[in-house]
Amino acid sequence: MSIEQQYRTRAKELLSSGEVKMVIGYSKGSTPDRRRPAFISTPEDVETLVLDGACIANLSGYLVTEGLLSDEKRVAVFLRPEGIRAINILAAEFQLNAAQVEILGFNTEGNEPTALSGSKVDDFAELIGTLKGIIPDTAGEELYKKLEAMSPQERFDFWQSEFSKCIKCYACRQACPMCYCRRCIVDNNQPQWVNTSSHTLGNFEWNIVRAFHLSGRCVECGNCDRACPVNIPLRLINRKMAGEVLEAFDHFAGSSQTQEPVMASFKKDDTETFIL
Amino acid sequence: MSKIGVFICHCGENIAAKVDCTRVAEVLGDHPGVGASVEYKYFCSDPGQESVKRAIRENNLTGVVVAACSPRMHEATFRKACAEAGLNPYMCEIANIREQCSWVHNDGEQATDKAIDIIRSMVEKVKRNNMLQPIEVPVTRRALVIGGGIAGIQAALDIANAGQEVVLVEREPSLGGHMAQLSETFPTLDCSQCIMTPRMVEASQHPKIRLLTYAEVEHVDGYIGNFKVKVRMKARYVNKDTCTGCGECITKCPQKKLSSEFDCGIGKRTAIYTPFAQAVPNKPVIDKDNCTYFKNGKCKVCVKSCPLDCIDFEMQDEFIDLEIGAIVVATGFQVQNNAVYGEYGYGKYADVINGLQFERLASASGPTSGKILRPSDGKEPENIVFIQCAGSRDPSKGVKYCSKICCMYTAKHAMLYAHKVHGGKSNIFYMDIRAAGKGYDEFTRRAIEEDEAGYVRGRVSKVWQENGKLMVRGADTLLGRPVEVAADMVVLATAMVPQPDAKDFAKVVGIGYDEYGFFNEAHLKLRPVESSTAGIYLAGACQSPKDIPDSVAQASASASKVLALFSKEKLEREPVIAVNNEATCAGCWGCVLACPYNAIEKKDILDRSGKVIKRVASVNPGLCQGCGTCVTFCRSNSIDLAGFTEKQIFAEVMGL
Ligand SMILES: Cc1cc2nc3c(=O)[nH]c(=O)nc-3n(C[C@H](O)[C@H](O)[C@H](O)COP(=O)(O)OP(=O)(O)OC[C@H]3O[C@@H](n4cnc5c(N)ncnc54)[C@H](O)[C@@H]3O)c2cc1C
Ligand code: SF4
Ligand code: SF4
Ligand code: SF4
Ligand code: SF4
Repeated sequence: MSIEQQYRTRAKELLSSGEVKMVIGYSKGSTPDRRRPAFISTPEDVETLVLDGACIANLSGYLVTEGLLSDEKRVAVFLRPEGIRAINILAAEFQLNAAQVEILGFNTEGNEPTALSGSKVDDFAELIGTLKGIIPDTAGEELYKKLEAMSPQERFDFWQSEFSKCIKCYACRQACPMCYCRRCIVDNNQPQWVNTSSHTLGNFEWNIVRAFHLSGRCVECGNCDRACPVNIPLRLINRKMAGEVLEAFDHFAGSSQTQEPVMASFKKDDTETFIL
Repeated sequence: MSKIGVFICHCGENIAAKVDCTRVAEVLGDHPGVGASVEYKYFCSDPGQESVKRAIRENNLTGVVVAACSPRMHEATFRKACAEAGLNPYMCEIANIREQCSWVHNDGEQATDKAIDIIRSMVEKVKRNNMLQPIEVPVTRRALVIGGGIAGIQAALDIANAGQEVVLVEREPSLGGHMAQLSETFPTLDCSQCIMTPRMVEASQHPKIRLLTYAEVEHVDGYIGNFKVKVRMKARYVNKDTCTGCGECITKCPQKKLSSEFDCGIGKRTAIYTPFAQAVPNKPVIDKDNCTYFKNGKCKVCVKSCPLDCIDFEMQDEFIDLEIGAIVVATGFQVQNNAVYGEYGYGKYADVINGLQFERLASASGPTSGKILRPSDGKEPENIVFIQCAGSRDPSKGVKYCSKICCMYTAKHAMLYAHKVHGGKSNIFYMDIRAAGKGYDEFTRRAIEEDEAGYVRGRVSKVWQENGKLMVRGADTLLGRPVEVAADMVVLATAMVPQPDAKDFAKVVGIGYDEYGFFNEAHLKLRPVESSTAGIYLAGACQSPKDIPDSVAQASASASKVLALFSKEKLEREPVIAVNNEATCAGCWGCVLACPYNAIEKKDILDRSGKVIKRVASVNPGLCQGCGTCVTFCRSNSIDLAGFTEKQIFAEVMGL
């Protein structure tokens, strides 16, 4: 049985037995290489589910949709390892109760999806452990190496020219599972910290603020850079920050449900090189 | 409409020498919303304050900016003056044009421009200030004194004698600290034990003092007037309530060769021990790491010897929770480990010792009963070389600072040696003789003139052993030639350094420390006994190297601060606290974790039927210290700090 068929069957069981009230997965998209999120609540509809190499979006963000989990019922969701890490972060930040999430885990090797065993977020602890510190072999690899080799000035220039393209559509924010705030700092206009118009300064403020807010939280799912209409390689700036927090605080985002947020906690042996 | 008064202070010459105050006053006078802009030589003086009050009344000012020194100096002064003139005190702010402007710039033109910017920025802030009301909090009238050396004992006695309760916590089995180890004390040469032990007894018997020895502070929560403290009572393995201190167990314990900490390794002790004969309380503890029973499961000789059945190997550490209003930190110092000076042979040659070890040799209660005898063979040394600054004022191997007491105690050692060993010859290598203090220079002169201490100005480069003698090679920089002295004993005047765990301890208590680990005072000159945390005071050598008179003086000063705090039932606190916007809070509770004072709680927002519709963070105004940590953390900018709201800060930045 193909893994797609296997997971359809599993989804059907979960829905029929009432174990979950909804399955969040993928269905056909507008073009052959795109997949669209599917929200399935009746067993009959599971046949529309698709699972193949094009299923790359991180669906965890839909779980924090206002009110979805407030009835304490469970929801099943298709997740790749990054998505599973995202569940840990959302749980650690009290945005959801991980016990309400049934995970249909998968990974894609080459173009073929493979199943991951486990259904609760804690079942994947070992897998997540093996990912720590490994830079995922994803899009942008080449570019990242090039950026690392640059002088600070060159790097600054690079990002300045990238950010100058930003049109402040905030698609990156809408796509990111970690951007769950009810009111984002950019929507605060009393005072207006971040300039709304899309010129270099405002763009810089916005993109740097987002990079800071995601330090120690980004799981590199790539939702943001796929969403970006002007193709800014946003994930790379977050990757840089992930590297920094890993090195300075041994923090790998989404390691567990009880992981303390890196920006809100301290340990006595943290480096203090930045303060006297 | 705002009507802000701007008061530009010359601070004598401090500001006016660089900043053109007249130009500043003119420029600010034209700034929108400014109702008065004047300069004066000293606004903090009585006529200065009066002129501010008059200006408030005459111009109906809605806010005040005093452009002067740091707010740490006079913010309180000017806020009080404003309140007296009927203005809400929190409508007054200081623009610092001294420390942050005139003092640090050479170019007057540029300094003036910068002063204008700083003041303009503050005017913009004050336009958005809110009228805040101070918060009243109750005060728990019970002090905690941490450290039972002379400083801690003095502070505890002073507070207790004024009728307030004290808890005195000492981590060793006995009170006393370093002073109990000393022989005789400069500058009067009175016997340390004779003046120290009665104090220890007084502290232990005082009805207002609760003494907790062999105890350590585990955790401190809360804030001035309302600290919550957890103390760990280390297991003594001896029931201290029934033990009479008869000492039977000590005489019988088979482990007799353990190095005595109190005697700095020169004397020995048993595994069940009191640090010294005059210990308070005079009740033994078992050194678990070296007890035969704990190591091998066999022995229990002490159990058999104790007539009152006091020994209990099952004893566990216990915890005591205390409610405390004020804390005095008096955790003292350590002497530096001289092993860093390989060339002096400390640790290699038994007869190269440090000053504290010499104190034990010279002390009547010490391992040699006060006779100066060489540790190697017990012979009386005919010649001793003292090396000053063995660690102090040596940035390469030791510490940069002067330990302040070594010149004095080395002179004392030379005197004691001359008194105890007739004909004994001493040579003291020194860099300078620093003897500032009442009776101090007279004291060192006496060592030189009456007790014939031989002072050689210069540093020692090497100590080695030859034909049973310690050869000391150094330079006599006054004569400009090398010298070599054959000695029977060498005494190093070791640097005073912070306790090894000082930095960790500071984090537990919540106070600041300097690059070495000495605790920081709030202001070196004007608030030398207050730590940077309200309600926590410092006493003794934990703050900087000090001798006994200085330690005692600081302890009494701390005690008076505590008593001033306890003189009121309620305390007025600055209303600078965090306020959360529950509508925008995302309930991530990062702030709950980030808050160093545990002031933020998780809160459920319910609908009419009692169902949770939202979970948010909620600040407890009684606990919040206004540090702003949560504000910087909150991604959605939901938390704001009264007195430093985002709107105010933003206006300040934009005003530049
Ligand atoms: C060799 C030598 C000779 C000296 N001779 C003289 C002299 O002749 N005249 C003179 O005026 N001064 C002299 N001094 C200086 C004198 O010893 C100090 O000024 C004095 O001891 C400082 O007292 P203190 O209470 O601050 O610190 P300490 O005496 O060090 O006492 C601190 C106490 O706090 C306890 N403690 C530490 N940490 C904790 C903790 N976390 N919890 C609980 N308890 C803790 C320690 O166990 C100790 O009992 C001499 C010093 C030395 C080294
Ligand atoms: S920042 Fe981008 S890559 Fe990182 S978690 Fe958010 S969407 Fe995914
Ligand atoms: S998605 Fe791209 S263009 Fe849109 S706000 Fe984000 S970075 Fe800018
Ligand atoms: S950090 Fe901000 S968003 Fe998060 S709980 Fe606290 S106030 Fe709310
Ligand atoms: S300002 Fe915020 S972090 Fe600081 S004490 Fe108050 S609530 Fe805690």
